Amino acid sequence: MAYIEIENLSFAYDNKTTALQDVSLSVEQGEWVSILGHNGSGKSTLSKLLVGLLRPKSGSIRVDGFELSEDTLADIRRRIGIVFQNPDNQFVGVTVRDDIAFGLENLCIPREEMIERIEEYSKKVDMFDYLNKEPQQLSGGQKQRVAIAGVLAMRTDVILFDEATSMLDPEGRSRLLQDMKRLNEEGVTIITITHDMRDAVHSDRIVLLKNGGVLADDSARNILGDKELLEQASLELLLPLELMHTLQAEGLGDDTLREYLWQLSLNG
Amino acid sequence: MAIEFERVNYEYQAFDGKAYLALADVNLSINLEGEFIALVGETGSGKSTLAQHMNALLTPTQGRVRMFGLTISRDTTRDKHVKLNPIRQKVGLVFQFPEYQLFEETVLKDITFGPRNYGVSEEEATARAKKAIHTVGLDSSYLERSPFSLSGGEKKRVSIAGILAMEPSVLVLDEPTSGLDPLGRKALLEVFKNIHEQEGKSVMLITHDMDAVYEYAKRVLVMREGNVVYDGAPSQLFTRRNIRVWNLDVPDVLKVTFALKDRFNLEVPGLPRNRRELLEAMREVLA
Repeated sequence: MAYIEIENLSFAYDNKTTALQDVSLSVEQGEWVSILGHNGSGKSTLSKLLVGLLRPKSGSIRVDGFELSEDTLADIRRRIGIVFQNPDNQFVGVTVRDDIAFGLENLCIPREEMIERIEEYSKKVDMFDYLNKEPQQLSGGQKQRVAIAGVLAMRTDVILFDEATSMLDPEGRSRLLQDMKRLNEEGVTIITITHDMRDAVHSDRIVLLKNGGVLADDSARNILGDKELLEQASLELLLPLELMHTLQAEGLGDDTLREYLWQLSLNG
Repeated sequence: MAIEFERVNYEYQAFDGKAYLALADVNLSINLEGEFIALVGETGSGKSTLAQHMNALLTPTQGRVRMFGLTISRDTTRDKHVKLNPIRQKVGLVFQFPEYQLFEETVLKDITFGPRNYGVSEEEATARAKKAIHTVGLDSSYLERSPFSLSGGEKKRVSIAGILAMEPSVLVLDEPTSGLDPLGRKALLEVFKNIHEQEGKSVMLITHDMDAVYEYAKRVLVMREGNVVYDGAPSQLFTRRNIRVWNLDVPDVLKVTFALKDRFNLEVPGLPRNRRELLEAMREVLA
C-alpha cells in the first residue's frame, strides 16, 4: 500500500457545485508529486481535505495506514506538514525562533530537544542567523523557509506546498525550489499544489486536475509534453515545449534542436 | 500633468527601534495619461512604499511629491486645510489580494461603494458600475450576484471595477495577477491593456512577472534598497547583462531567444515581444 491513498474522494462547498468529484490517487514515500490544475480545478480543496481542514462528502484518505477521521487527525498532521501560499498568513511567532518552536510546543517536545531541533532545522534552510529576527524584517522567501523549518522540525514525512512559490520574487522562488529539490533527495515526500508549470517540471509525477476530477496521472515528462492534454486542462505549455511542438508539427528543425528545447523547459 | 517625486525619502521605525530608509532620494515623473509602467524589484525594495506615495497614503519624511496642484511633504498631514481625498480619487490604488476587501451583498453595491462615498449620486454610481463591470470583462448579470459566489479571478475583476468606478486618472495595481492561473493572468493583463489604450489612463503594475513586464509595459522602473536604479524601456533592461544583481529574471521569450542564438546560432530579426512573435520568427528562420 502507498504512503498516501486517496479513494473516490468527493467534496462540495454547497448543494449546487461539486468542488471535487470521485478523485483517487496515491503517493509513495519519497516521491515528489505535483497536483496541477487551473483556478477552480479543485487542487486547493484537495489539499485542505488532505490535512483535515475540510471533511469529505464521500470517499477516504489514508496516510501511513491511518484513515483520516477526527480520531486520527492528530496522527495525520504529525505526518503531513503544509506550507501555504501567503508567507504572511502563516507566521505565528514573534521571532523566527518562536515561529519554529510553535509546532514543537504543540507536540509537547521537551525544551532541550526543542532547542536542538530549532538549531538543526533553521540551519538546514539557512535561517540560523535570523533566529532572533521578527517577521517584518524578513523577505517573503525567507518567511517561507522559516515555515519549512517549522514543518521539518516536527519531522513530518510529507511536506505539502500549496502554491508556496506564487507570491515570491524570482530569487525567492528559485531558492525555494532548490530547497524542495534538496529535501526530496534527502527522502522527504513532497507534494506541490500549483498551476505553475515551472514548479511542476521538477516533480517525478503530475496529477492533472480539471473541474474537480483527475484528468491524467502520469510521469512529469509525459504530461508536460502532451500539448492536447494541457490545453484540455486550460493550462499553457512551457514556452520551449510549445516551440518544440510547433516545429515538430511543421517538420522544422532537427532532433538535436528539439531535445535541446526539451532540456531547456526542464531547467525551469 | 504629472506626478512628480522630488528627492523623496521615506523613513520608518522598525520594531527593533532602528530607523530604515524605505525610499532613498527618489526622483521621478509619472504622466497622468498614456503611461504603462511596470514597477519591479525584489521583496522589500520599496515598491509598495513608492506606490502609496502616489496617492498620499504615505507622505515623504524628506522631499516632496507634487500632483494635481498640491505639494505633499512631511508637514502636509498636519495641515488641516490640505484636502487629500481628491488625490485618492484621482490615483486609484488596488492593493494585493483586493478580493479580500469585498464586503457588500451584491457586486453592484460593492462597486458603487467608493463613488457613493465621494458624493456621487446613486444613479450616476450605478451607471459607472455598469460601465466598469464591462471594462473588466464581465457582463451586467454579475452586478446582482454576491461577490462571495465568484471565483478568485472574478473577485479580482470586481475589486478593480470598484476602483475604476471612482474614475481615477491613474491606476496603480500591486501584484494584480498573483494567484491566477495562466489563462486568468492573461485575461486580466488584457483588461489593463484596454484600460490603458482605450481610456488613455496611465497604468502602473507592481509585479514579479517579467513576461508581463516585457510584453505589456512601455516603461519599467527597477527598485533596489529604496532607490530607483533603472527607468527606461523594458527591451533595453532585459538585454543588459547584469539584471541578476537586482534579483530580476529574464522573460521566458528572451531566455529561449538568447539560448537558441548561443547554442544553434539561430538569430531572429529584432526581438520577439511574446510567444506568438517568437514562434513565427523561428518558423521563418528554420523554413
